[in-house]
Amino acid sequence: MSDLPAGALRVRPGEATVWPGLRTMVDGSLAHPAPALVATVTGIVNGITMIFGAAAIGWSTDHLIVPALAGNHVGRATWWIAAGAILGVSTLRWLTIMVRGIATGLVQHGSQADARRAVVHRYLDLSLAWHRRHPPGQLLSTAVADVDALWLPMIFFYFALGMATMLIVAIIQMFLHATVLGLIGLGLVAAVFGLNLLYQRLLGPRARAAQESRGRFGALALESIEGGQVVRTLGLADRERGRVGAAARGLRDANVSMGVVSSAFDPVIELLPTAAVLSVFAVGARQVESGDMSVGVLVEVVYLLLTISIPLNVISRFLGMMPVSTAGRTRIAAVLDSAETTSYGDRALAEDAGGGAVAVAVGTAVAGNAGPAGLGLRARGVGLVIGGTRLLAGADLEIRPGEIVALVGATGSGKSTLVDLLGRQTDPSDGVVEVGGVPAPELARGQLAAHLGIVSQTPWLFSGSVRENLQLDGHPREHRAYTDAELWSALGAAGADEVVRALPDGLDTRVGERGARLSGGQRQRLCLARALVREPGALLLDDATSALDPAVERDVLAALARLRGRVSVLIVGGRPSSVLVADRVAFLRAGRIAAVGTHAELLAAEPDYRRILRAYGHQGAGDE
Amino acid sequence: MSERGVGEGLADLGPARAGELLRLLRTTTPVLTSGLTLTALLALVAGAGRIVTPLTVQYALDHGLLHPHPGTADVVLRAVGIGAAGTVLAALASWWLNRRIFRRTETALAQLRADGVARIHEIQFERFGRLPSADLVSRLTSDLDAVTTFVQNGGVLLLVNAAQMVIAALLITAYSWQLALPALAAATLLLVVMRRIQAVVGRRFTVVRERVSAMQSVIGEAVTGIGVVRSTGTERRSRAAMDAAVEETAAAQRHTLVPLHTNTALGEVAISFITAFIVVAGVRWSTDHARWEPALHLSAGELVAMLLLVTFFVRPLQQLVQMLGEVQNAVAGWRRAMEVLATPSGVVAGPAARELPPGPIAVDLHDVSVAYGDNPPALRDLTIGIDPGEHVAVVGETGSGKSTFARLLTRQLAARQGRVLLGGVPIGQVSDLSFQRRVAIVPQDPFLFDASIADNILAGVRGDARALDEIVDSLGLRAWIETLADGLDTRVGVRGARLSAGERQLVALARTALVDPDLLVLDEATSGVDPATDVRVQHALGALTVGRTTVSIAHRMVTAEHADRILVFDHGQVVQNGPHGELVARPGRYAELHTVWVGHTLAGGPVPSPRDESAPRGCDERRGPTSTVRNDRSTP
Ligand SMILES: Nc1ncnc2c1ncn2[C@@H]1O[C@H](COP(=O)(O)OP(=O)(O)O)[C@@H](O)[C@H]1O
Ligand SMILES: Nc1ncnc2c1ncn2[C@@H]1O[C@H](COP(=O)(O)OP(=O)(O)O)[C@@H](O)[C@H]1O
Ligand SMILES: [Mg+2]
Ligand SMILES: [Mg+2]
Repeated sequence: MSDLPAGALRVRPGEATVWPGLRTMVDGSLAHPAPALVATVTGIVNGITMIFGAAAIGWSTDHLIVPALAGNHVGRATWWIAAGAILGVSTLRWLTIMVRGIATGLVQHGSQADARRAVVHRYLDLSLAWHRRHPPGQLLSTAVADVDALWLPMIFFYFALGMATMLIVAIIQMFLHATVLGLIGLGLVAAVFGLNLLYQRLLGPRARAAQESRGRFGALALESIEGGQVVRTLGLADRERGRVGAAARGLRDANVSMGVVSSAFDPVIELLPTAAVLSVFAVGARQVESGDMSVGVLVEVVYLLLTISIPLNVISRFLGMMPVSTAGRTRIAAVLDSAETTSYGDRALAEDAGGGAVAVAVGTAVAGNAGPAGLGLRARGVGLVIGGTRLLAGADLEIRPGEIVALVGATGSGKSTLVDLLGRQTDPSDGVVEVGGVPAPELARGQLAAHLGIVSQTPWLFSGSVRENLQLDGHPREHRAYTDAELWSALGAAGADEVVRALPDGLDTRVGERGARLSGGQRQRLCLARALVREPGALLLDDATSALDPAVERDVLAALARLRGRVSVLIVGGRPSSVLVADRVAFLRAGRIAAVGTHAELLAAEPDYRRILRAYGHQGAGDE
Repeated sequence: MSERGVGEGLADLGPARAGELLRLLRTTTPVLTSGLTLTALLALVAGAGRIVTPLTVQYALDHGLLHPHPGTADVVLRAVGIGAAGTVLAALASWWLNRRIFRRTETALAQLRADGVARIHEIQFERFGRLPSADLVSRLTSDLDAVTTFVQNGGVLLLVNAAQMVIAALLITAYSWQLALPALAAATLLLVVMRRIQAVVGRRFTVVRERVSAMQSVIGEAVTGIGVVRSTGTERRSRAAMDAAVEETAAAQRHTLVPLHTNTALGEVAISFITAFIVVAGVRWSTDHARWEPALHLSAGELVAMLLLVTFFVRPLQQLVQMLGEVQNAVAGWRRAMEVLATPSGVVAGPAARELPPGPIAVDLHDVSVAYGDNPPALRDLTIGIDPGEHVAVVGETGSGKSTFARLLTRQLAARQGRVLLGGVPIGQVSDLSFQRRVAIVPQDPFLFDASIADNILAGVRGDARALDEIVDSLGLRAWIETLADGLDTRVGVRGARLSAGERQLVALARTALVDPDLLVLDEATSGVDPATDVRVQHALGALTVGRTTVSIAHRMVTAEHADRILVFDHGQVVQNGPHGELVARPGRYAELHTVWVGHTLAGGPVPSPRDESAPRGCDERRGPTSTVRNDRSTP
C-alpha cells in the first residue's frame, strides 16, 4: 500500500465523543473490508451464542437437573442433549472469539498504519514555518501515541457490536418470558447506558486535562534533560526539581481526578446486573409460586442477566475509550487539516540552467569552461513577518548566474532569514523570489532541490553512514547513485577527505544520532560535501565555514572560488575571508538590505560594514 | 565502532529478582507498600460481593422455588434483601479500594517522575552524555503512563478478580469437593497452557516494542531533519524509510494476533467442559443411578449455584492471564523508570569530597588520555599546567581534540588514564557544590530554556533586574536587545529556536558571565556571532574576567592573540605552547595558522590560493609527538 486511498482516513474533530468516534471505527472498517466483514459476522454470531448458552443451561435445569434430583427418571437422550448443547454452543463461541479477535487486530493495526502513514506523509508536505512552530517531540507523539489512542476502541468495536446484538435479542427473549422480566432487562440496559453517558460527560474534560498535564510534564522533562549541561554548570538542580515536581504533581492531580470519577462509576456499573438479578428473583418468585413460570425459565433469565453483564462491561469499556480516542483524533486532525503546505507549480528549470551539464568534479582544477553559467537567484521586495514581528523588509537582491555574492550583517540582522527565503525553505509574506527567472512557487516539486544546494548554519546529518549521508537519493537530475570518485572529490572540495579517511570505517563509518560522533567542524564539512556532490546550479551557504579552522576554511573557499562562472554562490559570513572571494557584497542591517556593491565600495560607504570587516583586522592593514 | 547502548549508562534491572525490585519499591515509593492489609481486605469484600448472586439463587431455589408453597415469596424476598445489602457493601468497598489505589499509585508515580528528573541531573556527566534524552524522557513519561493506564483500566479489577477467584474456588469446594477437584484440576491445566502461550505473546510484544522504538527514531529523524530533507529534495527517501518502519511495526503487531486470541478462546473451552462435567457428573452422582462413593447429596439449587460459580471462577482466571501482558507492560514501564532511580548518583559530596580553593582555579594535567568508547584516544598523554588567573587560548584544526579537552576540564568526560587536578584537587574529588557555578563552559551550541531572554540570563542567579541591565551593558549587548520588538522579554522558543544562532550564543555568554565562574571554558562560544560583536564581547569578557582562569577555544586567531598563552592542539596532542609573540615568530603549526588567518582578515589582502593537493596540510609541521608541554611558570 503505497499511498492512502482517498477518504480512507477521514478524521473528524468534535467535542462529542461517541458519534465521531463510532464513525471513525466505521471508516476504518470500510478501509479494510475483508477482515472487517469477518469480524462483524463473528462478532454477531458470538453475541448470539451467549443467548444459546443461557438457553442450554435453562433447558438442562428444567429437563435434567430438577427432575433427576427430584428422583424422576430422565431419558438417555436428555443427558446427551444437555451435554451436547452446552459443548456445541461453546465450541461455536470460542471459535468466533478467536476469529473475531484476529480479524479485529487486522483492522486495527491496518488502520493504525494507514493513519500513521497519512500523518508522516503530511509532515513531509507541511511547510518549514509550520514545523518550526511545532516541536519534534510533539510531532512524534502525534504520529505514535495519538494514532494508537485514535484506534484504541477498535479492540472492542466488533465485540461491542456483537454484544449489542445480543442485548437486543436477550431483551426480546425476556419480554417473551414475561413483560416484567423484559422491563427489568430494559431498565438495566437503560441504567447502564445512562450512567455511561454521564460518565463520558464527567470524564471527557478530565481526560483532556490529564492529556494536557501529560504534555506539559513531558515537554518540561525533555527541556530539563536536554538542558542538563546548563543545569549542572549553573547549579540549577533545585530549581529544576521544583519546576518538574510541580508539573508531576499537576499530572498526578489530573490523573486522580479522572480516577475519582471512574472509581465511583466502575463498581456501580459492575454491580448493576446483580441488582437486576435480585429484582428478577423478587418478581419471579411470585410467578413461580403461582405456577406461571418454570424454575428453568427463571434460571435461564438469571443466567442471561449475568451473561449480559459481560456485554454491558464491554460496551462500557468501548465507550470509556472514546474520550481518549477523541483527544488523539483532535490532534491528528490538527496535522491533517493544516493547510500550511508548500504549494508547487508545474514549471521546470532548463536543464542547462541547473548546472546539470557542469558534470565536473568540483575541487579539481578545470581548464576552460564551456559549461553553462549557473542558476540566477533574485529577491524582489521580499519581506517576512512571523507572529507579528517583521524579520525582513523589502529586500532586493540579485545573484547573477555564476556570480559569487557575500551576505554580511550583524548577528540577528536577518541573514539566515533571507537565505531561507531564497532557498524557499519559507515563503515570503510579501515580494517574490525568482529562481532562474521563474517565481519560486511556480516551480514544480523537486525542481529547487534538484538545482539548488543549501548548507544551513547548524549542520545536521542523518544517523546512517557517511556514505548514506552523501548519497541520499543519488544524483537529483541524472537519477543514479554517485560513484565513489564523485563522493571523494566532493569531500575533497569541502576539506573533508582527510577527515573521512581517518575515520575507522572510512565512508562506511556511522556518524551517530545527528552526527554526534563527529566534532562540529567535521559535521559542517560533511554537510558542505553533501551539497557539493549534488552539483547544484546555485549554492546557499549560511555561515557554513563557521566551525572550520583558518587553513581548512581557506581551502574550502578556494574550492568555492573555482566554481565561479559555473555555479552561483551566496556566502553568508562577516569574515573578510568569505567577502574576498565574492564578486559583490550585500550588507544587511536590521532586516533591510542597506547596501549592495563591491567590497571596496561598501567599505567606503558603510561604517557599520567597515566595523564588522575590520574587527579582526588588527595590524591596521586595510584595503587601501 | 560499537554502538553505545543505553544499558551501558543506566542501571540494568532486567535480571533483578522480585525481592530486589520490592525492596526498591519500598525505599523509593513507600506510599505504595504501606497499608497492604486494608487493601487486601477491601479487595476481598469487593470480590465477595460479586458472588452474592449464585448464593442467593441457591438459597431461593432450595428454600422455596423448587417446592413452591405459600410464603415462598417471603423466603425469596428475605434472600434478596440480604443479597442487596451484600451488593451495596461490595460496591462501597470497591469504590474505596479504587480511590485508594488510584491515589496511592499516582502519588508514587509523581514522586518517581520528580525524583527521576532530579536523579538524571545527578548522574555522572559522562554517563549522562551517553544517554539519549528521548529515551530518558520516555522512561518518565510514556513508560510511567503505562502504569497509570494499567491501574485505571484493570489493575484494581485484577485485585478484585483475584479475590473473587479465591472465594469462588472455596465455595465450589464447600459445595462438593468431589466435583471441585476435577474442575480445579482442569482450571490448573488451563492456567499452565495459557501461561505457555502468554510467554509467546510476551516475546512477540517485545518485538513490537522494538519496532515501535525503531519507528520513533525514523520519524524523529525525518521531523528534526525536515529542513535538510526539504532542501535536498529527498522526501521520497524519508517517506520510504518511514513507510517501511510503519509497515514493520504493523507486521509485528499482526504477528501477535494468533497466540493472543488463542489464549482468549481457551478460557471459553475450559468453562464449557467444566460446566458440562458438573451438569452430567453432578446430577448422576447425586441420584441413585450411580453408586459412587463418597456419595454426593447436592440439591438442585446447589448444582445451579455451582454452574454459576464455575463462571465466576474461570472468567477472572481468564482475564488474569490475558492481563498478564498488560501487567508485564506496566511492570516493564515501572522498571524502566526505576532504572533511572537505581542509577547511582554521581554527585560528589560528603566527607570524601573536597572544596576548590577560593579564587581563580589552577589546572594541571598529567599524562592524561581520553577516548570515546572503543575509538582511538581523542587526547593522548597530555601534560599541561595552567596558572590561576591565566588566560589560555586553545587552537588547532577541527577534530584535533579541543572540545574534548573542554569537556575534560568541565567534568563532562573522565580521563581514561592520568591525573586531572583543579586547584590542586583531583577533579573527581571536587564536591558538586564547589564545582557548580565556579567551573563553567559555554559550548558552541548552547542550550536555552523556553522562556524570555531575561529569564535565561538570570537563570543562574536570583532574579535581579539591575544585574541583568549591568551585564547586558557591559557585554555591549544593549544595541542588539534594542533591535528586538520585545527587548529582554522576547520569548526565545523551544531550545531558543526563535533566536538566530549567534543570538543564542550571546544569551548564553551573558548568562555565564553573570554567574562569574572562577574557571571559564569557552568552546567556540562566539562562532555564530559577527566579527564586530565577537571582538566587542571578547574584550568585555576579558575586562570582566580579571582574576579568573579562562580557557578559550577558537579558530579565530584574534582570540588567541589576546591570550596570555596559546596551546596548539594536533591529533589529540599539544604540539606547541607559548605566548603569541613567541609562537608566531617560530616556524610551526601556529605560525602557519596565523599566516592563513592574517591572509583572511586583511580585508583587501590576497585572494586565497588553491591548496597544493600533493602536500597534505600540516604534515611538515608534525615533528613527532611533542607530548609533554609544560608551562614554564608552573612549577610542580
Ligand atoms: N521563528 C522566529 N520567530 C520570531 N523571531 C525570529 C524567528 N526566527 C528568527 N527570528 C528573529 O529574526 C531575527 C533574524 O534572525 P536570523 O535571520 O536568524 O539572523 P542572522 O542574521 O543572525 O542569521 C533575529 O532577531 C531573530 O531573533
Ligand atoms: N561523542 C563522540 N563519540 C565518538 N567520537 C567523538 C565524539 N566526539 C568527538 N569525537 C571524535 O574525537 C575527536 C576530537 O573531537 P573534538 O574534541 O570535538 O574536536 P575539536 O573540538 O578539536 O574540533 C574527533 O576525531 C571526533 O570525531
Ligand atoms: Mg544566521
Ligand atoms: Mg570542537
